[in-house]
Amino acid sequence: MNKKTIVVIVALLVAIALVFGYQTFLSPEAELGAKEVEIQIVNQKENIEENFTYNTDDEFLVDLLEKNKDELGVEFEDSDFGMMVTTMMEYEADVDKQEFWLIKVNGEDAETGVSEIPLKDGDKYKFELSNF
Amino acid sequence: MRVRDIVLIAILSATITASKMALSFIPNVEIVTLLFIIYTIVFGFKKVIFVSIIFSTTEIFLWGFNTWLLGYYIIWPLLVILTNVIGKTTESEYSFALLAGIFGLSFGLFFAITESLFYGLGFGITYWIRGLLFDIVHGFSNFILVLILFKPIKNVIEKQSERFI
Repeated sequence: MNKKTIVVIVALLVAIALVFGYQTFLSPEAELGAKEVEIQIVNQKENIEENFTYNTDDEFLVDLLEKNKDELGVEFEDSDFGMMVTTMMEYEADVDKQEFWLIKVNGEDAETGVSEIPLKDGDKYKFELSNF
Repeated sequence: MRVRDIVLIAILSATITASKMALSFIPNVEIVTLLFIIYTIVFGFKKVIFVSIIFSTTEIFLWGFNTWLLGYYIIWPLLVILTNVIGKTTESEYSFALLAGIFGLSFGLFFAITESLFYGLGFGITYWIRGLLFDIVHGFSNFILVLILFKPIKNVIEKQSERFI
């Protein structure tokens, strides 16, 4: 094999290693950088339905809520299970009436709390007052 | 500038645009870099710098006006300038392959910088990281293409240029 063939093969191997490395280490769970997300708040009891669109650098839903606390009228409670949303649009879910804020991500019930929901570009987060 | 030079610049610009379109079905594999390097070596800096500006303008006609196309006016003339500087000291295809490789690898970074001027740093960083995979493909395919094709294509174009000029 001549020198050039060896160089080409080495270059190919390095490229494959880099692609593999990228996919292993640089495809993060949470997306870095700017993304556009939508937040919807539905409270049928009070006839509230609000939509907000945000451009954000935040990584998790909790950060975004924290930053727009006033606009969203949101309040949290730090429970044993992590941050829990108690109040949305100034309405506090009444535990005595079996009320809570159900979180849906793109129409699917969220499996984790707001601190574990990574923000993804184009995603829609819905907070719906529900009964348990 | 003679009429022959003007015609030559037009033909070279056309071949570069055509070569880009011909390979556009493979993402980030291109021979535009290869051709710019060879043209600069064969026809000289003064003519090919015009080609790089015409090529960038043609891209706007083809794709419509876009922020990333502004970067073309910097990055392609820059390649011609760098080739010219390197070409004065060496004729080795390894140097040009390295130049093409680094050029391809830093392509995304360059546009991340220009895009963040328009849309903010957060966008720039996302843009760069999301595009890294394409930069790797771009850089390494550039390196390999130039390494293999530089000499044979340069020889052909040199022969043609002797007939033309």
